Amino acid sequence: MKSVKGSYLSGVVEIQVTGDHPEQFLQQCARNGIMLWEIKKVHVNQCTASVLLKDVKEIRKLRRGSKFKIHFLNKHGLPFFKKRVGRKKPLLIGLLLSLLLFFILSNMVWQVTVTGVPEELENKIKEQLTSYGVYPGAFTFSIESPNQIQQLLLEDVPELLWIGVDKKGTSFYLEGVEKLIIEKEEPAGPRHLVAGKSGVIQYMYVKKGMPEVTVNDVVEKGDVLVSGAIEKLNIIDEEEDKQEFELVAADGEIIATTWYKAEVNVPLTAEHVELTGNTNEKYRIKFGSLSIPIWPLTRFEHFEHELIETDEYQLDIFGWRPPIYFTAEKRLESTPWYSERTREEAIQTGIRQAKNDLQRRLGKDAEIITEKVLHETIRHGKVKLSLYITVEENIAVEQPINQGD
Amino acid sequence: MKKWHLKFRNLMVNYLALPSDILLELPRLTIIGNFHLYIENHKGLETYSETELKLKTTNGYVQILGTSFVLKQMLPEEILLEGEIEEIKYIPSSL
Repeated sequence: MKSVKGSYLSGVVEIQVTGDHPEQFLQQCARNGIMLWEIKKVHVNQCTASVLLKDVKEIRKLRRGSKFKIHFLNKHGLPFFKKRVGRKKPLLIGLLLSLLLFFILSNMVWQVTVTGVPEELENKIKEQLTSYGVYPGAFTFSIESPNQIQQLLLEDVPELLWIGVDKKGTSFYLEGVEKLIIEKEEPAGPRHLVAGKSGVIQYMYVKKGMPEVTVNDVVEKGDVLVSGAIEKLNIIDEEEDKQEFELVAADGEIIATTWYKAEVNVPLTAEHVELTGNTNEKYRIKFGSLSIPIWPLTRFEHFEHELIETDEYQLDIFGWRPPIYFTAEKRLESTPWYSERTREEAIQTGIRQAKNDLQRRLGKDAEIITEKVLHETIRHGKVKLSLYITVEENIAVEQPINQGD
Repeated sequence: MKKWHLKFRNLMVNYLALPSDILLELPRLTIIGNFHLYIENHKGLETYSETELKLKTTNGYVQILGTSFVLKQMLPEEILLEGEIEEIKYIPSSL
């Protein structure tokens, strides 16, 4: 079979000739120009041979009127293969569809990533991109070249200084640089600086205005520290015995020592939670209020002490969000343990806690200088502390000067 | 008449060095080792089995004996035989 070139393309049939002296029939075939090969005598009156498919008709003609019988055993070659494939139409259609799907999917935008700009601008850029037809799920046939998109974006989003558009396969990567628009501060109206809190002034740094107090002065809340009304020299209205003032926006920093009283409660036993490392996970699908467990299907084991983490994802099909959720519930086993604190430790903890609280309230410009425990009591396993804390901070508060009336 | 014809052909073969198989219409047997035998110019297949192949020629028969014979290819006047060849015999036609 292999020795005959091109036989695969035209198709090969293996025939079996039965009768008295079967080789005589094959001889007759050969004489009629039929090519035969792989002739084997299987039995005294039986021969097998391979012939080309196109010669089968001729063989049938020769057989007619003769005493031989012919059986067709095997069929090889392209014509038979074609026939077989033709019978399996669903498979063929499936293959074609999968190719088509592959083609369609590889010509879709799958991802648009914008980097280098704040979220607000990112959303604006994405909105613009959507209007150009660049969004996950869009076909790439209709999308303009990255260069054109870049040009369009720079025109339509004025906040952008520069944007790089890069298309990699099915993803778009955009990298933007925001234009920094520095807004000019509005010129402040005339104002005083007054004390926001009572305290002792430590140092003063006046940028503008007339200082009314000096270092080490004790000021009460509401006292004017820096006046925005500056006396005009040499212009004295003699008739009304009034001075002309020039009004400015007083500006500066007045650092003063202030005091705070704080009360804290510190328990003598502290509770800690430690994770043992044992976890239990459960996944569910949620349709509205209906929740179906996926894994594990068995009843869930609860730990005696546990922390629960729950993640919920909503199904998202190209922006279409049906109310189907996938939830992963993770239970982490924990063991609580208690530690005893001595009175001294409890006081230290209390002080630290009070200082942190105060610092948070005053902001990071304030500086805590000293603290003093005024009073402490132990009751019901708790230490109650009264603290006195000294702070250095800016106490200046702006107060506009009323004009005209 | 025919004898004269043959004499002339023999002369052609001897003096003009023309291939004898064509001129004398005799079979040409090409044998490779003892397993391939290529027979051209035969006049028909007489018998064929696993152990024997007998071919007609112009003046008799060629008998090939051996074992596990397979006819690798068969064309109107050519046969390629494969198998273990043991004997090749020329049998003159009994006139």
